Amino acid sequence: MNVLGVETSCDETSVSVVRDGNVVLANEVLSQIDIHKAYGGVVPEIASREHIKGITYVFDQAIKNANLNYEDIDLIAVTKGPGLIGSLLIGINAAKVISLNYNIPIIGVHHISGHIYANYIEQGMEFPLLALVVSGGHTELILMKEHFSFIKLGETQDDAVGEAYDKIARVLGLGYPGGPVVDRLAGSGVDNLNFPRPMIQSGDFNFSFSGLKSHVINTHHNMKQRNIAINIDDFCASFQEAVTDVLVEKTIQAKNKFKVKQVIVAGGVAANSGLRKKMKEKITDIPVFFPKMKFCTDNAAMIGAAGYFQYKKYGKADDLYINGYSRLDLE
Amino acid sequence: MKKSLKRLAIDTATKYIYLALLIDDKEVASIYQVGDNDHSVTILPLLEKLLDDAKITLKDIDEIIIGIGPGSYTGVRIGVTVGKMIGYLNNISVFQVSSLALIASSSKKNKILSLIDARRNNAFMAYFNQQKNTLEYIKNDTLENIESFQQNINEKYEIVEYGKPNIKKIIKSNLLVKVEDIHKLTPNYLRITEAERNLEK
Ligand SMILES: [Zn+2]
Repeated sequence: MNVLGVETSCDETSVSVVRDGNVVLANEVLSQIDIHKAYGGVVPEIASREHIKGITYVFDQAIKNANLNYEDIDLIAVTKGPGLIGSLLIGINAAKVISLNYNIPIIGVHHISGHIYANYIEQGMEFPLLALVVSGGHTELILMKEHFSFIKLGETQDDAVGEAYDKIARVLGLGYPGGPVVDRLAGSGVDNLNFPRPMIQSGDFNFSFSGLKSHVINTHHNMKQRNIAINIDDFCASFQEAVTDVLVEKTIQAKNKFKVKQVIVAGGVAANSGLRKKMKEKITDIPVFFPKMKFCTDNAAMIGAAGYFQYKKYGKADDLYINGYSRLDLE
Repeated sequence: MKKSLKRLAIDTATKYIYLALLIDDKEVASIYQVGDNDHSVTILPLLEKLLDDAKITLKDIDEIIIGIGPGSYTGVRIGVTVGKMIGYLNNISVFQVSSLALIASSSKKNKILSLIDARRNNAFMAYFNQQKNTLEYIKNDTLENIESFQQNINEKYEIVEYGKPNIKKIIKSNLLVKVEDIHKLTPNYLRITEAERNLEK
């Protein structure tokens, strides 16, 4: 089954063709990251304007690179949320036109299910599994007992982990997007600032990063005021160690409680090298999987993979009334 | 028998959604209805119904006319996305037209001020002359203070803020502009974003 995946929930215009949930025939991504850099974050109106500029071109590249015609597509899977509403609506309406034009069934897919299924593309899945979803908008632990069944065990009570990274990077003057830079600098720093590990022993599977974020910002501010030399690398290392300690510890607690067969990490922060290293070091009894780097950030291949399993599970498509949602529950 | 020319017109720059189907210069079906910020939900189902009623499919369309704004940013992007995709998928001729011209075409008056409210006493506006059903620009699409735009007009005119477009009038006019590269088609916003303005300061 050839699935045409469409993803425009944030600042990437992406179209893919994925066969049977794991054979990626094409995955075109038009990234706007260089445009939004000047603003220190994604500007929704600019994102929408860029999506509409690139939309037909990205479709054209995807279908050509897959070496197919639209007539060969069996299903269209498009991100319906959560995300920036103006951006979502461009992908959704473009996808609906293809559905009507070629009479191809269409389904609306949850963005996070896409991030989770990015792992299926290369590694497959064995149930029950535990998914740690970490990105600029999400921090949650999800239990899957079978394909396309999501039980949310816990989530962040305030900031998402990627959001905390971006804010710390801004305070340290490292620019946007902050995650990759903090991660890189942390590699050559030492964890010597004793930042707190919030909620690490809270007994549930929830997270909180806003307190840690404030603590880090205050520490930075106080050191500057007292003219104490600030080693940026150590700052990054101390922050990253605190964050990854919490993420890994909570994952281990959930893994043990639900006796899962594998752990998968999904979302943009899954690209973080400190998190990858610590997860693999601390969890050795079952496999821990991370998507390939190109499937960590937003892309349509993951939507094509998730859409395939969503369609298989429910056996029916949506209709042309699909809407976009800035907020949307996964379960 | 000569094949008939089938044209589709789309505009979603205002709170009204507009779809029309023309066969050989004759409007055979059209929809002009007010929406509640839901053009994104309704446009494809309405389009499907329009085509079904006429017993044709999207693939039968030979030409498409797209209202490219100015107007509501989110709104105009819906129609332009849909029109752009139809043009691209079927490799057909695409024409763009000002959404203000579409509004003006609904009027029968000689002098027409077409206006889409943009809040804070500003509006997207254009000023048209109409003789014997032929519509032409006097003042091009602009975004400015409503009063100051009006002060520069010293004759009797009608203000038109909505109205079902007279698409036959539009296709006879010089107001349609052929789109040479479908991939480059974007709405006419008439204004850079607030973030870009702040950055320039
Ligand atoms: Zn994402």
